[in-house]
Amino acid sequence: MKHTTVVIIGGGATGIGILRDLSMRGVKAVLLEQGGIASGASSRFHGLLHSGGRYAVKDNEAAKECIEENMILRRIGRECVEESEGFFVLSQQDDPAYEKPWVEACAKAGIKAEPVDVKEALRLEPNLDPTIKAVYRVPDSSVDGFRLVWHNAMSARRYGGEMLTHHEVIGIDQEGGKVKGVRARNLVTGEEIRISCDIVVNAAGSWAAKVVELVGLEVGVQPDRGTLVAFNHRFTSRVINRLHMSSDGDIFVPHGSITILGTTSFHADRPDAHEAPTEDVLKLLDIGEVLIPNLRSYRILRAFAGTRPLYVAKGSAAGRAASRGFHISDHGEEGLDGMFSIFGGKFTTYRLMAEKMCDLVCAKLGVHAECRTAIEPIIESPSPAMLEKATKYFPVHSVPLVANRLGDAFPIVVERAAAMKSNPLLCECEMVSRAEIEYVASDPSSQSMTDVRLRTRLGMGTCQGTYCSLRTIGALTECRMPFPLSPADNLRDFLQERWKGLRPALWGLQAREMELGRAVYAATLNIDGAKDEQKI
Amino acid sequence: MNRKSDIVVVGSGLAGMSAALTAAQSGKSVTLLTHGAGTLAISSGCIDVLGYVNGKSVYDPFEAMAELPAEHPYSLIGGEETVREALSWLKGMCKKGGIDMAPAAEQGNHRLITVMGTLKPSYLCPDSFNPDCLKDVHRAAVVTVENMKDVHPGLIIDQFHRYDEFAGKEFMEAVLPCPIEHAHRNITPLDIARHVETPEGLKWLEESLAPYARLYPVLLLPPICGMKHSQQVWNHLCTVLKVKIVEMVSIPPGVAGLRLREAFKKALNLAGVYTVESAEVVRAEVEEGVCKALYSATAHGECGWEADNFIIATGGLLSGGISTAPGKAWESIFRLPLEAPENTEEWSSPDIFGSSFFASMGMRVNSELKPLDAEGNEVLANVRFAGRILGGYDFAAEKSGHGVALATGRYAGMLAGKE
Repeated sequence: MKHTTVVIIGGGATGIGILRDLSMRGVKAVLLEQGGIASGASSRFHGLLHSGGRYAVKDNEAAKECIEENMILRRIGRECVEESEGFFVLSQQDDPAYEKPWVEACAKAGIKAEPVDVKEALRLEPNLDPTIKAVYRVPDSSVDGFRLVWHNAMSARRYGGEMLTHHEVIGIDQEGGKVKGVRARNLVTGEEIRISCDIVVNAAGSWAAKVVELVGLEVGVQPDRGTLVAFNHRFTSRVINRLHMSSDGDIFVPHGSITILGTTSFHADRPDAHEAPTEDVLKLLDIGEVLIPNLRSYRILRAFAGTRPLYVAKGSAAGRAASRGFHISDHGEEGLDGMFSIFGGKFTTYRLMAEKMCDLVCAKLGVHAECRTAIEPIIESPSPAMLEKATKYFPVHSVPLVANRLGDAFPIVVERAAAMKSNPLLCECEMVSRAEIEYVASDPSSQSMTDVRLRTRLGMGTCQGTYCSLRTIGALTECRMPFPLSPADNLRDFLQERWKGLRPALWGLQAREMELGRAVYAATLNIDGAKDEQKI
Repeated sequence: MNRKSDIVVVGSGLAGMSAALTAAQSGKSVTLLTHGAGTLAISSGCIDVLGYVNGKSVYDPFEAMAELPAEHPYSLIGGEETVREALSWLKGMCKKGGIDMAPAAEQGNHRLITVMGTLKPSYLCPDSFNPDCLKDVHRAAVVTVENMKDVHPGLIIDQFHRYDEFAGKEFMEAVLPCPIEHAHRNITPLDIARHVETPEGLKWLEESLAPYARLYPVLLLPPICGMKHSQQVWNHLCTVLKVKIVEMVSIPPGVAGLRLREAFKKALNLAGVYTVESAEVVRAEVEEGVCKALYSATAHGECGWEADNFIIATGGLLSGGISTAPGKAWESIFRLPLEAPENTEEWSSPDIFGSSFFASMGMRVNSELKPLDAEGNEVLANVRFAGRILGGYDFAAEKSGHGVALATGRYAGMLAGKE
């Protein structure tokens, strides 16, 4: 049996943020995650680093937290942030009476919102509807949520934090009203483990209610489905918001060469409601067209959905009207000493949430170490010499991207590439080379090609896996990666994951791309027919 | 001014070229309008006739045709007899174009070897793809070329071990040095196949295969044995190295598909077909159910193409013959509506390889391949459809893509040629 001080449940931004913070303060902690790192809402949102402008009127306190954390994350996580800035745009359909209180609320929260002349705004963002009425510039940014969580995880590991992915919590042991340990099942091997501990932190996001059910308690977490659409084009330079009360489909967030439009807000009956319905996609297109009139001419890459873990106190508002603030429950008050739950909040404020949670845990443990997460960069920047060396083994233009993506692991992957006979790019869209894929695949947290995709962005670009998946499974099979699935099953699983995102928007250029995929994998390679003909 | 011919064919995939060549061979003047290279450029170049019916593997595609529903293109055009005639016609055309097609497998379908290490049922393949020789040997080498990212012998051999028919056989990985300069670009089988047509390329392949040829009676290769002279290259290598070489079916770019395309282009030229490239047909002129002309867009404006008969082989979703929008699908030239559920979610199955509506979405036609409306009435008297634009079959699941394209293209060409 393993022993630690704190067990954290949930490997999203909050949980990993807590693991890093505790580890930096010298508290022993183990994190359990049922899927892969950041496989829930932390990678299923629009990737907006909020300036807070969106919440300024409705929840000025949350807006204030946003702008403060926004500025901190640009500093400590600059490898994950694209400082694109944002526009708030008053369209013809929006109530002009909202403008004045919004400007005042931004000022109150400390958000710099400068008016931009409409003509100038249209020069800067020519795809905007020419009939817009007013534009403000705010410090919004794009953030790669997945990467940021992974960098936090690397940092946590560096400080001794431990993570077990694909481990589902099946029980919380208690004795005399005190937490004693956590039982979990390895979902890959079926093996059950027990970790004894003094404190359990439930940071399971939308799954938080399911976790406390194990000890017969309740928390006010309501999963709320948000659907997003990723386009294969970057049609704005900046984040574009509608200047109105927060609503569906009113944010465009550009990332690299793509744009994400989001989101909807629907009550979800389960935390893993990750299927994006066509109905949501069409709704997003309708609303998005108000700001970007030629929106339907762009190819949709995929649609996806995540569930927000909204905090709903008994009898209060749900859905869009629910608070975006966060909440911590000390279950000691309900008779289970040493158990905490944290939920609600936003990705932008994950660090602050972790800090507050760790302050409580440390107070309980009598640990007096200060929180340093707001000052210490999450990963160390690679040395110029390492960047220079990398240009020998990676396409030169991909080096900054690869360095940012890999964080701490960059030097290891460069050395790996240097030792290889050649280091071909296996995914040209996202510039993922064989050395990087082999490194990520050999990480104990990778159990499938889908895990490798999530961490490297393999197959997330223009071809959506049509060309890169065969060669990747080839490379992985050749270096004998001990995945539980057979190569053909791994490939099918990978394509099936992609398919989930293609289905809801199966028309136009997207349908063509999908048909090419079927021509390659079914018609040419017969991986559908082979299923029944091959032995496992 | 509009140009006139007896027959206008639109589309230069296997269906369009088969239709154009057949019609021209019957003595008609034929214009072939093309836009892009057609899907032969991404195809395996082997003629899959029918490999699966309702998810069940079939040995003899002709026997299995009897089980197909009445609206399947094979059923519409007369089944076995029509398809066999088209296959034997293609074999003859290929022979003249320098590609020898292998005899059919004993049981019906060959089980071709793919670069994924899977086996795929296909009826007619070039000699160089014929895997029959593997039955009689116990050892074979699986060959790739350094930096060819899509071909991994390790994966292929791992997959072979999962098939009963390869039980007890020994396979070995072989990597040939890359003969051409490369940056961080892909080296594909097409690059190597082109190189192998040069004298130094052929010498390279011969010399680098020689050590393996001494150890193994069969060498499995990506499709790299030349382009325009692939048959000669393959014959030469098999003879000098005293081995059997089997090319594996690969993903795009479609080396063997391009070889077949070359053979067709030669035949089309000889038959006097007037081929127009980069001619995207943007509209049709129809009077009382008769098509008068098609119009293509050029930099100088529209260009009109008049004919007595038209054959539309513009492909499906991938090639643009079928256009789609949320909840709607239509044929792209005549804007004929295609049957499709209003809710897009009903178009596809949650399982990527499950049975999906869109997979068999397409033009509904009668036994003359003329288009029908929802009530079953013929809507255009002098227009026929061939290839993936047709509904009623799923080329990917059935492994019937080239078979349907060839048979319906040839059939449409024959019918139009007789009018």
